[in-house]
Amino acid sequence: MSAMTRVTAGIQRLGRRAIDGTNRLGRATLFLVRLVPGLGAILLRARLIVQQLYMTGVLTLVIILVSGAFVGMILALEGYNTLVKYDAQSSLGLLVALSLTRELGPVLTALLFAGRAGSALTAEIGLMKATEQLAGMEMMAVDPLVRVVAPRFWAGWIAVPLLAMIFTAVGILGAYVVAVGALGLDGGVFWSQMQSGVSVTNDVIGGLIKSVVFGFVISWIAVFEGYDAKPTSEGVSRATTRTVVSSSLAILGLDFIMTAFMLRGL
Amino acid sequence: MDSTIKSEPLVAVRGLSFFRDGRPIFRDLHLTVAPGSVTAIMGGSGAGKTTLLSLIGGRLEPHAGEVQVAGEVVGSLSRKALFALRKRMGMLFQSSALLTDLDVYENVAFPMREHTRLPEALIHHLVLMKLELVGLRGARGLYPPELSGGMARRVALARAIALDPMMVMYDEPFTGLDPISMGVIVKLIRDLNDALGMTSIIVTHDVAEACTIADYIYLLGDGHVIAEGTPAEMQKTSSPEVRQFMAGLPDGPVAFHYPANEYMADIRAEVGS
Repeated sequence: MSAMTRVTAGIQRLGRRAIDGTNRLGRATLFLVRLVPGLGAILLRARLIVQQLYMTGVLTLVIILVSGAFVGMILALEGYNTLVKYDAQSSLGLLVALSLTRELGPVLTALLFAGRAGSALTAEIGLMKATEQLAGMEMMAVDPLVRVVAPRFWAGWIAVPLLAMIFTAVGILGAYVVAVGALGLDGGVFWSQMQSGVSVTNDVIGGLIKSVVFGFVISWIAVFEGYDAKPTSEGVSRATTRTVVSSSLAILGLDFIMTAFMLRGL
Repeated sequence: MDSTIKSEPLVAVRGLSFFRDGRPIFRDLHLTVAPGSVTAIMGGSGAGKTTLLSLIGGRLEPHAGEVQVAGEVVGSLSRKALFALRKRMGMLFQSSALLTDLDVYENVAFPMREHTRLPEALIHHLVLMKLELVGLRGARGLYPPELSGGMARRVALARAIALDPMMVMYDEPFTGLDPISMGVIVKLIRDLNDALGMTSIIVTHDVAEACTIADYIYLLGDGHVIAEGTPAEMQKTSSPEVRQFMAGLPDGPVAFHYPANEYMADIRAEVGS
């Protein structure tokens, strides 16, 4: 009997989780709908977006540059190690460029951005809520969705594709340094293979589309979690964690779906 | 005083009921605030005083009854009309709610920048005027974390009156201040009210301060007004609830104990389990 009740309780818990999850997704969607007019209105005050672009984008630049360089260097080492077995090391430039533009650039940038800037966005908005700054704005007849949330949303959305492009470019340079400087590959071959093998329409634009989608999703999750956070220390810390976890899962899940569509389209 | 009470009230709460998580906060609450007056709304912690300010400011909607401010029913307004009304209300939060990424000057300038297209020179004059009123013109370059509690509240007060509102709501303005800062805030509230022709609503549980500056006091308890009157009337009343509150007695009609099972039965139950 007790085993039976334990099973029932387990099913109930599962059901409650599913309902909670769906409920949350619904609220996040409604939040996005409420945010749309603000997204339009704030465009007239571009200065606010530029300020946030500095906070989210420029301040994330260091981690993107360093990670990009290392990822490129590692790709070169690993790629060379495999390609050389088939005497195909001349394709190393192509391998690195394709990996970075199509996958690693957008995905790693998005993951790093979620951890560095997404969490900060959530914590900032959550703390503004906890310290009644948002309520204070509302009482001053200033809509926090327009004044606080919208510029941060735009900034995150714009920053991710830009950072992904920088990540990819730095990664390719890092790979070049290792391949040509350390492994003794010919620089001309490195670049010409890349030039002939990477397609702008499929690879570059495809990667760009991915990072635009990732930017949108991270910004959405980050501002929603902050705005929806319980106004306590624990609430803000939980919201921050949820931003990083949900963003990371969403990035990887969406990446799979988009990759599947893009490969079918080729 | 009598003449102001007879005129049309600036704020009228009629038959207000409000529930939170199924628990009633207000049941059939009635109160009015005369224009130009300082009205204190008192009650113990958890009596719903802050909730009442949120209802007056339109951040919450009543479940029954209505709240009227300056002749408009707050709950029925469109968002645009509500925001227009809020521009005429100032609110001082207990936490001051200053924007931490802006300095004192920019905090006071914030409502002007958001709602007006005034030239920078005029904003400069206005901000300095407001800061002069609260005595913090010299602190204009400081950031909120650098301010003491009393200074932060004065900056918030300067911000609340930035757009020359018809009324200011104060949420626990005396809590957590040293005696000097408290005295400064008490004086400021009264002086600003009289000098700028505003109406003030003060939510507080500080009996002495409320009696010093209020023209009229409402005492809330159990979701409705349990007593009202001028400070003198409140001091003289014979009602046990009012006397308990005004004198700060630990036990009385408002019980010391949170509702619980019978004491011995509770202890035995713990041991038995």
